Amino acid sequence: MSQAEARQTQRVVLQVNGQRHELDVEPRWLLADVLRHQLGLTATHVGCEQGVCGACTVLVDGKPERSCLMLAVQAEGCEVTTVEGLTPAAGLSPLQAAFQQHHALQCGFCTPGILVTMEALLRENPHPDEATVREALSGNVCRCTGYQFIVDAVLAAAKEGR
Amino acid sequence: MAVDMLKPQFTGARVTRLEDARLLRGQARYLDDIHLPGMLEVAFVRSTRAAARITGIDVQEALRTPGVVAVLTHADLPWEIRNDGFGVTQPVLARDEVRFVGEPVAVVVADSRYAAEDGVERVKVSYDPLPPVLDMEQALADAPRRVHSQRANVFFHSEHTTEGFAEAFAQAPHHLQLTFRVHRQTGVSMETRGCAAMPDPASGRLTVYVSHQSPHGVRAQLARVLGIPENELRVIVPEVGGGFGIKAMFYPEYVVVTALARKLGKPVKWVSDRTECLLSDAHGRDSVHEVAVAFTEEGRIVAVRDRVLGDNGAYPFPGFPGAVGESNWATNMLPGPYKIPHISLTVDCVFSNKTPLGPYRGVGGPIGAQVQEGMVEAVARHLGKDAMEVRRVNLIQPEDFPYRTATGNVYDPGSYSESLEAALRLLDYEGFRRRQAQLRKQGRYLGFGVCVFVEPSAMAHSEAGSTPYEAAFIRMEPNGTVTAALGLGPTGQGHETTMAQIIADRLGVDVKDVVVLHGDTDSAPFGGGTGGSRSGTIGGGAAIRAGEQLRAKLVKLAAHLLEAAEEDIELADGQAFVAGVPARGIPVRELARIAYTDVNRLPADMPPGLEVVARYQPPAPATYSNGTHAAIVEVDIRTGLVRVLDYAAVNDCGRLINPLIVEGQIHGGVAQGIGSAFLEELRYDEHGQLLTTSLMDYLLPAATDVPRMRVQHLETPSPSLGGFKGMGEGSLIAAPAALANAVSDALAPFGVLVTELPIRPEQIVAWVQAAGQGA
Repeated sequence: MSQAEARQTQRVVLQVNGQRHELDVEPRWLLADVLRHQLGLTATHVGCEQGVCGACTVLVDGKPERSCLMLAVQAEGCEVTTVEGLTPAAGLSPLQAAFQQHHALQCGFCTPGILVTMEALLRENPHPDEATVREALSGNVCRCTGYQFIVDAVLAAAKEGR
Repeated sequence: MAVDMLKPQFTGARVTRLEDARLLRGQARYLDDIHLPGMLEVAFVRSTRAAARITGIDVQEALRTPGVVAVLTHADLPWEIRNDGFGVTQPVLARDEVRFVGEPVAVVVADSRYAAEDGVERVKVSYDPLPPVLDMEQALADAPRRVHSQRANVFFHSEHTTEGFAEAFAQAPHHLQLTFRVHRQTGVSMETRGCAAMPDPASGRLTVYVSHQSPHGVRAQLARVLGIPENELRVIVPEVGGGFGIKAMFYPEYVVVTALARKLGKPVKWVSDRTECLLSDAHGRDSVHEVAVAFTEEGRIVAVRDRVLGDNGAYPFPGFPGAVGESNWATNMLPGPYKIPHISLTVDCVFSNKTPLGPYRGVGGPIGAQVQEGMVEAVARHLGKDAMEVRRVNLIQPEDFPYRTATGNVYDPGSYSESLEAALRLLDYEGFRRRQAQLRKQGRYLGFGVCVFVEPSAMAHSEAGSTPYEAAFIRMEPNGTVTAALGLGPTGQGHETTMAQIIADRLGVDVKDVVVLHGDTDSAPFGGGTGGSRSGTIGGGAAIRAGEQLRAKLVKLAAHLLEAAEEDIELADGQAFVAGVPARGIPVRELARIAYTDVNRLPADMPPGLEVVARYQPPAPATYSNGTHAAIVEVDIRTGLVRVLDYAAVNDCGRLINPLIVEGQIHGGVAQGIGSAFLEELRYDEHGQLLTTSLMDYLLPAATDVPRMRVQHLETPSPSLGGFKGMGEGSLIAAPAALANAVSDALAPFGVLVTELPIRPEQIVAWVQAAGQGA
């Protein structure tokens, strides 16, 4: 690819958190970067850009996806949901409230990716056991909590019907 | 009733965190979330060689790259970080020679990070390779060469031997020699490092945002290196996504970005990518301990000799050359919880062509504990005793406090024996031994490992700098709400909650009415930042002291208005009232209103306003928290994989400010300990290339690797104000040693004693095969 081509943009239509956005993006731009820097949705964090840490996880058509492994142009026609889209206008969602109640976060950097992943889990399986929660969580790295209080929070949210 | 009123309402309670809502709603602002119009972004050209002379840097093609604004090298930004005392300076961009893979060589400034990285790909650096210094034993003898031509590779040497060591060692009936080693690991905060600088043309000041543990530390270093007066620099630490020690250091990139903002007159931002992090964040650990231990028939350890060698990498971080920090902590704390009367220590730290070493949570504590507990395991085996019995024989007992160790530390009281017995009960040690014997008959190898740890905390000297005190500023606003500011640098520890708990109790207001500011040198009083488990104890002490001073003002005003004696005034639930007569009271918010806006009603000798700043320095150079970790593991001898089946942590950090937060710290430290014991290793090849430059190569523990942990608190108060002891590092000090011993115990039938971390699966398979061939 020539340098000039690298800077050329193309028009995409993205559906994010229920809103339609028409954007000019370079084809190489990551979905994570477009969400953060073009749309200002900075809750989605970038931890490794290698698809390992899970901090950038968003829902694409309801399924957790690494937004660092997806180009924004690939998201055309999909419904993208970030933590902003799972957060009520005021206060916290039941899962978010359970995270606070159980001290399931410390530095908070991995938290949005984990909330998104766990929302998807609970939609698919409203009453998971601990092993299932840990398995679903295993694609998200948290360096602070040792995961135990995250697991507790998810199980508590499931028990209360999220 | 008065006694009940004095009882702290928030300190010690499981208060949920005040900072959580913004983090959970995705509204927190981390470094990369800061964006200003016209902001430029930079990317670094980093050395691809461990050791080489730079023969040329061609930037022409990079400059023609669309979006690229400038490419700069040492010639343009000739700043150097000085490390007084070692005769070594670190150019912020390499000058003539590179000394580790990942060292910044040039910087590309562009209108976006994408364009900056395009530019980096087009900078051509020519190198003339030099033989890299990669082996610490060889480095000792300046082989194959010196890392810094002007000085020997050994840059730190120390010796300490107790009087009578030689006789005590020689007279003991039993001796063992062991070599312990821990490989390179690093903190891996989930948020990478980064900084952003912007000039304010109107005032001439510079604002620097940096993801860091010590805002005032960064300001002092930037002022020093760039020659900018401190009052013309404002350092702001936004939300920080984890630190673990690596973000306590001062790095060349911060100088480059700040200098660029000044030079270009524009906002400039740099955010590290993960590969850069693994190459350039402070590495940790990486030392060898050659140990000789002398002991009696009963298992009493009478003398230990330890020769330590630490690899510091290419440059010493200012204020904290990692190998020195590691080795000093490990040797200084080598006796741990045991009464070891004689010690002989030799420490050598060398430079190498690897990434500079700095602090990672626990610093030398994990290897110190590994030596201490590995020795105990080896002694027990040699004598055919149960390792718990050997521990009981050697443990410092309650009547021994204050206890002076052979290395000169004075331990304040702790619960060493009590914590061991509690941990053994939590995991039913006797029952486990029966189960272990049964399962071995089925070819299953379970093991039980213990570490009784002592964590020095709130030290007068730590990686957070040599600030032995903290300061707290508290202002009660005219409406009765409270704003406090401290010079701490939290990275997820929840200081906005714990400091608010302490202050709310002093002022009789609700914890939710206290806002704690931090991380801004324009608002916070000078402080050392967060590191070395100092914030709760030293910062908490400052919060208590400032809270009491503000309380005294409120009490004086209330006594005047209520026409009562000051000693009869109580503050609780937002009310000031006469003790025993709650009806005779006045709301605290009314006192605040009067103090600012109705000042004719103040006592004659009371100035308007409700503001205080107070400082606190603990009475001792350190306070020692303690505890015991116990682990049950199962080793699959065919695959070499280890599963942690059960885990108990008994922890004594004195008075608890918030048990919820303490438990979170313990859980996180144990998880990192599992990483340290089994997964995490920064590996170099024979050319000095780092092989583990992604999180697919440098493995971190996942939710499926970490067991459910049982936590029990003991509370032996420290002599510090509030009785708090620091506890941020103890769990990562204890966990690797407990896990290593558990694997040793599981593989005891094969004669295995783990002395090297991390334990790789292929090593376990090799041990088992070797034992099979020997049999």
